[in-house]
Formats: sequence, C-alpha cells, structure tokens
Amino acid sequence: MNDLPDSTLSPPSPLAVLAQRDEPAAPVAAGSQEARPALNFRQSRLSRLADRWSHLIFLGCSLLVVLLIGGILFFLASRGLAAFVPMAGNVGRTLRLGEVFLSSDWAPSSDKFGILPFLAGSLSVTGLALLLAAPTGILTGVFIAKLAPHWMRNLMRQVMDLLVGIPSVVYGIFGLTVILPIVSRSWLKDAPASGFAVSALILSVMIVPTIVSLSTDAFESLPPSLDEGAQALGSSRWQAIWHVLIPAAKPRLITATVLGLGRAIGEAMAVQMVIGNNPQWIALLRESTGSTSFLHTLFTPAATLTTELVQELPNTASGSTWNNVLFAMGLLLYLITMALILATRKLGQGREA
Amino acid sequence: MPVLKTLHLSRTTKPVDRLMRGVLWAIALGFIVVLTVFVGAILKQGWPVLNLGFLSKMPETLDAGGGIKPQLFNSIYLVVLSLGLSLPVGLGAGIYLSEYAGKGRTLRFFRLCIETLAATPSIVLALFGMIVFVQTMGWSFSIRSGAVTLALLNIPVITRVTEISLLAVPRELKEASYGLGATKLQTILKVALPYAATGILTGLVLTAGRAFGESAILVFTAGTNTSAHFPDFRMTVPGETLSVHLWYVTSDGTLPDAREIAAGTAAVMILVLLLLNLAVRFLDRAIRRRTR
Repeated sequence: MNDLPDSTLSPPSPLAVLAQRDEPAAPVAAGSQEARPALNFRQSRLSRLADRWSHLIFLGCSLLVVLLIGGILFFLASRGLAAFVPMAGNVGRTLRLGEVFLSSDWAPSSDKFGILPFLAGSLSVTGLALLLAAPTGILTGVFIAKLAPHWMRNLMRQVMDLLVGIPSVVYGIFGLTVILPIVSRSWLKDAPASGFAVSALILSVMIVPTIVSLSTDAFESLPPSLDEGAQALGSSRWQAIWHVLIPAAKPRLITATVLGLGRAIGEAMAVQMVIGNNPQWIALLRESTGSTSFLHTLFTPAATLTTELVQELPNTASGSTWNNVLFAMGLLLYLITMALILATRKLGQGREA
Repeated sequence: MPVLKTLHLSRTTKPVDRLMRGVLWAIALGFIVVLTVFVGAILKQGWPVLNLGFLSKMPETLDAGGGIKPQLFNSIYLVVLSLGLSLPVGLGAGIYLSEYAGKGRTLRFFRLCIETLAATPSIVLALFGMIVFVQTMGWSFSIRSGAVTLALLNIPVITRVTEISLLAVPRELKEASYGLGATKLQTILKVALPYAATGILTGLVLTAGRAFGESAILVFTAGTNTSAHFPDFRMTVPGETLSVHLWYVTSDGTLPDAREIAAGTAAVMILVLLLLNLAVRFLDRAIRRRTR
C-alpha cells in the first residue's frame, strides 16, 4: 500500500490542496514517479487497529449525550417525585398530586404547596412574549430572505447574532435600570412597576433571534418556483409573501415558534430580575378585581416556575417538602421542554409526508 | 391552487404592497434601534465606573468601591475549563454523527437527543449539576462543579457545529484521501478535521461567549462567593463569575454601590461580547476567503 500507483493521482485539484497543506513550496507534479503523496499515510497494524476501533470512541461520545438526557431525567425525578412518594432522605410529609398541581395556594411556611401561580405565570409571560416575538420574528425572517438588499441582510444577521449573544443577566439589568424607571414615570406610575409586561418585552427580544434565524432558513429553503409562479400570475411582492410563501413555510414557521417558546419558558435570570417575584399574584389579582384595568394587571408583580427556583432553592433544606416541590417544578420544566422538542419532530414529519 | 382566487389585482393591491414593505422595513430597522439603544444604555451606564482600578481591585463585601478582578478571572477560568471538558465530547459526537451514523434511524435518534439537550433550560441543567456534583459527589459549590455543569451546556452546540462543518467538507477531498490509501480514521483526522477547523473554531468562540454569559447554572454550582486569594487555580474553591456577580449584587443589595458595580460589570460583559463577535466575523471571513 505504500507505493501508490499513478492512477490514484489522477484527480489533480484536491491533491493540490492536500499538497499545499503539507509542503507548499513543492507542488505535486501529477503523474511523475518522484512525486511524493502529500500526506504520508502509513498503514501499520496500529493504524488499522485504530481505524477499526476508533468509531467506538466517537460512538461513546454520542452515547454520553443520550446518557445525559436520561441522567438529568433520573436525578430530577429522584428529587422531584420525592414530594409525592415517600423516599429515603425525606424529612417532610408527602403530598398528593392534587394539592400541588391544582391549588393556587403557595405558602410553604404554612404547609401549602400549590404551584398553579408559577405555572400560570410561566404560561402568561411566555404567551405574551410569543405574541410579540412570533409575528415580528417571522416577518423579519421573510424580510431577510426575500426583500432585503444584500447589505441589509448582512446587517440584520449581525444584529441578530449580537442579540442572541447578550447574556440574560445583562437583559435583566437593562430591564431593571432602563425599562422599569420609564414605566414608573409614565401614566402607569400607580401600577406596581414590574411584572408580566416588562418580563414579556425583554423575553421577546431574547427569543426573537431564534425565531428570525429559523424562519429565514425556512423561507430560503422554499423552491424559488413558488415565488416566481406567484409573481408570474401578477401578484405583488406582498401578495406573494402573504398568500404563497408564508403558507408554504408554515410547518417550519411553527417549529421556529415552538423553539422560541422553549427558550422563553426556560429563561430564568432575566425574568427573575424584573418580574417582582410575588408567588401570591393570583390572590392579589382576585382581591383587586374590578378596581384595576387590564393594563394594570399586566404590571402586577408575579412569579414563574424558573424565577421561583432561582429565588427559593438556595434557602431550602435538602429533603424538605419545600425543596422537593421545587425540584418537582424543575422536573416539570424539563418534561415541557422534551414535549416541545417532540412536537417539533412531529411537525417535521408532517412536512416530509 | 386555492391561491389563484386571491391574487386578483384590485385598486388596493399596490398601496397595500407598499404599506407592507414599509412595515417590514420598519420592523427590521426597529430591531437595529433596539440593539443600539440596548448596547448604548449599558455602555453609558457603565462608562463612569469602568477604569483600570475597577478591573484590578478585589470586591468589597460591605463597603463601596470594590472591583471585579477575581470575577473576571473566574469567568475566563470557567469558560476555558468547561470548553476543555466539552470539546473532546462534542468533537467525538459530531464526528460520529457526520461520518459514522449513516442516514437512518440512529442518526435521527442521536440528533433528537442533542436537540433535546440543546433546548434544555439552563436552570434544569443547574438543578442536575446541583444534585449530582454539588450534593451527591460532595464537591459543594466549587469551580469544578461549575465547570462540569457548564460543559453540559456547551456539548450540544459544539456537536452541532462539528457535524455541520464536517458535512461541508467536499467529497472529492475525502475521496482523494481514500485514494491515497488512508483509512477512514486518518481521513477524518488529517483531512476532514483540518478543513473543518475554522468552522469549528467559529462555533467554539460562540460557545465561549454563551458560557461566559451563563449565570443560572453557575449560581447553583459554582456559588456566589469567590476565593480571597488572587489567581486561585484550585478547583475546589467557589468561583463567582462576572454574570453571577452582576446578578448577585443587584438582588442581594448589601453593597451601597451595587448599582454602579452592576452597571460596570454589565459594560465589561458587553465589551467582551463585542470582541468575541469581532473574532467570529474575522474567522468567518477567513473561511470565505479559503472556500472561494
């Protein structure tokens, strides 16, 4: 195997690339006997053995990821389920599922563990953020893919790259020091200056890059014949976008939105810094019904699954009921993420069929 | 096609088209404005605080005037450690997915797992790290707990980038390598990986930026304290990073100048991010120059 027949040197261009890599001064004269192959692949027994077994190492790395997925599920479940099932290391009482998932009464010091406020908080903040981010993100996607001139396209890519790279605590401090003062100086000043609206606004900026880049890909991968056909039929640019391109890209746009949802529901620090961390927000709203407008409820201090974890986990003793319920909330978040990923898979399959 | 019905030209077609083009431009420009205001506000707030003293002083616990020297060090140290841990795994998994897994069910299953890990909220990874490394293995809040858990965040990104970069290697290049008698392993290590290196490096820089800004994971694994010594390379001490410091001083509130420190820290983080972005652009240009 060491002396190569000349015929293997026949495709010259890739070889030239190889040659330059090793010894740029001596170009390979294809076909000449003296020409050394640029890379000297020695076929010792060792290298054959390495070749045979190396894929096991790579497979091992991949399996590690699978193992991690299972490991996270196992360890979160081992602590989260301890809230409902008597387990070793439990110091508190075990709860019924109903009093955790169906109750809005969260008062751990008086033994009440209803997590409904956090679930509802997470869903409302995420929903509001999506309401802002999904339409703007998808329209920006179509703008980048189909309408923007070249320089604008590059500029928007840069902008989205920067937005996605900004750390969540910096988003949080921006909300805290820039947006909240504006809100409390506005006509909303008698409203408590935190809560859903500000968190949702910040979250929407955080998830927009995800939605933009995925929907840009979706529009760019559409066959150009769709666009051309619509225009040949005399449609305007917007008609083509609205009646042809968006419906055609719909499954992937929904996938983009679902992934944005996943990012939003799991975001912890930025939301925690601006939402006001009030687990009793449902009770607060109930007390003040009628006297407050809808806009004011948007500025009620609230709490979500993630913010409550950040807020209270460091203060609880391991093994206590309180601690276990917090881990159960983490488990719930993880299961939601998995469900969302599986949902995007189902959407993808629908597209292929 | 039901579309045909709706594509008639009416008197409103043209104005609507023009209006919606305007709306699309406005949304896109809106995002540019948001970014400019954002970066501008953070830098403006942090500018008065930023000086060499701020970067090179130890933090105070109760008095004003503390610096962020150890936090800056911990941030970089943790990013390097976590990248060192996740790079081999990510590279290996990426190589497996692009070169060995084929196109069938195996590939789809592994991709699903990597997507799931990539989408897992960092707070969930934080809980996992807290249970396994901090409590079960008894590492407590330390650099090593933080680095290992942070690596979990990096692995899916590095895997994906490696896979994509390796899939972009021209087939002729690999075939030429096989033609020279190379084994598959030699082709991957000596031909495909060097070709894909710039792409992987770009991904690494982006991953480093993400790890640099991560806070939720580190609050629960690396802790909110820092060693009293300065360069403290021990893995067993708590290691508060810049992002955790930023969060902790704002929400804890014992420091009289918490606002200034938070503003300065945020500005430093934004500056680091901008630098990393420049690096990515530079690498990107290098890739394009070579593949031209």
